[in-house]
Amino acid sequence: MFKKYFKNVIMLVSIISYLAAEINVYTHRHYDSDKILFKKFTDMYGIEVNVIKGSADQLIQRLQSEGKNSPADILLTVDAGRLVRAKNMGLLEAVSSKTLTKNVPEKMRDSENHWFGLSVRARVIAYAKDRIKESQLSTYEDLADPKWRGKIVVRSSNNIYNQSLMASLINENGADNALEWAKSVRKNMARKPRGNDRDQARAVASGVADLAIINTYYLGLLANSSDKADREVAEKLNIFFPNQNGRGTHINVSGAAVTKSSKNKKEAIKFLEFLTDKKNQRIFSEANYEYPLDYNNSKSKIHLKWGRFKADNIDLSILGENNSEAVKIFDLAGWE
Amino acid sequence: MKRAYKYFKKELLSDNNVWNTLSILVSLIIFSPILLIILNITGESNNWLHIKENLLFNYVFSTLYLVIGVGIISTVIGVGCAWFVTYYNFSGRKYIEWLLILPMTIPTYIAAYSYYDILEIFNPFFNWCRVNIGLEETIMIENILIYFIVIMLFSFVLYPYVYLSSKASLTIQGSRAIEAAKTLGIPTNQLLWKVIIPIIRPGIIAGLSLVVMETLNDYAAVEYFGVSTLTIGIFRSWFGMYDMNSAIRLSFFLITFVFIVLAFEKILRKGAKYDGKGGSSTLERIEIRGYKKLPVILFCLTPLLLGFFIPVGRLFSWMLGHNVSMNDFNLLSVTLNTLGISLASSVLIVLIAFFIIFSKNYFNKDSLRKLSHLAILGYSMPGAIIAIGILKLNSTINGFISFMLIGSISGLIFSYVVRFLAVSWQPIDSSMEKLGSNINKASRTLNVSPQKSLIHLNYPILKKSLLIACLIVFIDISKELPLTLILRPFNFDTLSTLTYDLISQAQFFQSSVPSLMIICISLPAIVLINRQVDKGV
Repeated sequence: MFKKYFKNVIMLVSIISYLAAEINVYTHRHYDSDKILFKKFTDMYGIEVNVIKGSADQLIQRLQSEGKNSPADILLTVDAGRLVRAKNMGLLEAVSSKTLTKNVPEKMRDSENHWFGLSVRARVIAYAKDRIKESQLSTYEDLADPKWRGKIVVRSSNNIYNQSLMASLINENGADNALEWAKSVRKNMARKPRGNDRDQARAVASGVADLAIINTYYLGLLANSSDKADREVAEKLNIFFPNQNGRGTHINVSGAAVTKSSKNKKEAIKFLEFLTDKKNQRIFSEANYEYPLDYNNSKSKIHLKWGRFKADNIDLSILGENNSEAVKIFDLAGWE
Repeated sequence: MKRAYKYFKKELLSDNNVWNTLSILVSLIIFSPILLIILNITGESNNWLHIKENLLFNYVFSTLYLVIGVGIISTVIGVGCAWFVTYYNFSGRKYIEWLLILPMTIPTYIAAYSYYDILEIFNPFFNWCRVNIGLEETIMIENILIYFIVIMLFSFVLYPYVYLSSKASLTIQGSRAIEAAKTLGIPTNQLLWKVIIPIIRPGIIAGLSLVVMETLNDYAAVEYFGVSTLTIGIFRSWFGMYDMNSAIRLSFFLITFVFIVLAFEKILRKGAKYDGKGGSSTLERIEIRGYKKLPVILFCLTPLLLGFFIPVGRLFSWMLGHNVSMNDFNLLSVTLNTLGISLASSVLIVLIAFFIIFSKNYFNKDSLRKLSHLAILGYSMPGAIIAIGILKLNSTINGFISFMLIGSISGLIFSYVVRFLAVSWQPIDSSMEKLGSNINKASRTLNVSPQKSLIHLNYPILKKSLLIACLIVFIDISKELPLTLILRPFNFDTLSTLTYDLISQAQFFQSSVPSLMIICISLPAIVLINRQVDKGV
């Protein structure tokens, strides 16, 4: 009788703990790919994924203000720089997981395992097929050449993707050269920076400029849009990976970390392992056209079309460390 | 020091009562996140010199151009339309009169996105300019055009604030003034400049200050069009340079703008105090017939078309033309979230405002009069800065007890109170000054208790203002984005966060659905506001 009772209690407890299994995610990513992945994770492990979406900077601020009482288990961002910042603020937990170190290449994770990359985005040159030949293009540095006067469009330097690109240029060429570069590129712009990366693609398609600096997946989104006008824009453009004969194309990762305050560390680590798993990596490229961590072996149709590329080997933490200086250089160059 | 002590002793300790103390307490609680921001103004900042030398000038002037431009255009539209629908009669006037408020339902960021490709129309022209006039000149022309477009865009969705407030003053004070002026023999063509404008000026400025604050608060629209305002600067130093202290300093420049406008209002108000006894206009509207009515109708329809029907039309065409699946997001629950939290917060905000304003008026205490001003500072700061204040308050509380202010519905509502108390304050306070002061003086003399005075005397005469205040706050909250985005609980979406989310993914077509829903839930509020304003407040 007692045994039976005991058994029931155990069952009840296990049911409750099963129901209670959940992780709380603060995320800057607002893509369909994530919705699919989170649902798949819940289906597989029975762990609910609760989400607050917002800008990474504000989420980090919130995390800091909540301190050890924060309900968050995971911080997800669209660049490495913010993760570096959160780490420096002491908000992230070092994670030791063999699966993670196996899944995530060394240069795409924190040296002390505070954060891990999930997907790769390359910042490339999109050019008008009908006006520009691929042979005319070479490096980011070359965009400063006066031959491109009035031919370049790029979004505002408020954007983190431009800030990270600048951070990598500071690392490579030094702050003074980076400033000269920004001044010259600013002079070469066909118009004042405005709009998002898609708008830059549109501007090239409509003849405002010949080149745009954009992230690859934006062109993927345009090419697969439900809007005919978007698809026509994508038709007119090609992608060029700069600096292939040198350090390689600038990349960044969208990444994630377990928070120091996490009360569900085991589940949170499982979540990261799940997202970096080869089978699930596919979803980043299928639903959002981002590159998987193993970017040169992506099976996505559009990635195969764009071809393999060599990526800049820079330690991604440097992008975060140079971010503030990058913004100042943009200011000095008058790049709004 | 001694004087200060004496002052507080007199104000707070002697002749004290629950009403006063509670009001002061509530005001101070609402002020606390703002105080935490103010305390940071002297905080260390490595980037301030850089900002001051390279950016500040530009930020201030972009903001100035924008504010002045939007101020002028929205005043011309708002006052012009109010003037026409109040004093003239033409076919369709009755409908136009209330339709003109509709653009108020559209948040500036949604208006901006609905016009996202407007500059593309000019691409052939710019391409021509680049070849024939020169690159630099083209960029300059484009820059001017961008300012023009952004100013128009803001004006066409924000003018209803001016329209509503000037219509209300025209209906009541204007009509009586006109009658008087006519008796005195002032010619009709001089009426507008000599009589009407001076008399409704406080009304115009009250509306205008809301327009200015909404303009200053915008981030998404100016970011998209590449106009570097102070708000852009705030975000840039906070997020780009990781320098919250610089961001806070910049926000003080914003507050200065707001104070200039508010001080202006106060000065003008001082010279113009009326006993504003209600009652509708007895003035007969002037009938306009034939071709003469065309320019009038055109004047009233243009803002309506550009500020409402074109954006809404585009949203509709996106929704219908792209087979947006409603199953992609849980529209019903998101709508209920928005309705619920907007309704609960707006009622609470109006109750708080009414309580404090009543206590201030009934007891006429200097301390409360001054301290209550602190509680309405929240509206002069951008939502994102208020969010910093709330986060700081949260970590301060957390240092003492393990209590989470943020991440719950009640925390979110508290942040709305901090931000929007001022919106409800204005209509209630001005009605109280007009209608309640004498009653409260009499109540005190006749020893009518504050409870009785509040419920039986003040509430009935202020009912309409309370309702209007509640409705305006409701509309504001249902559109609110920055606070909700950062302070909300898990898995909690409102229509505006959903819209933002979809726009961030550049899913313009899908975003049309929640955008339209925001407009839909504000519509009944708009109709009600119009009805109340018509009856006269």
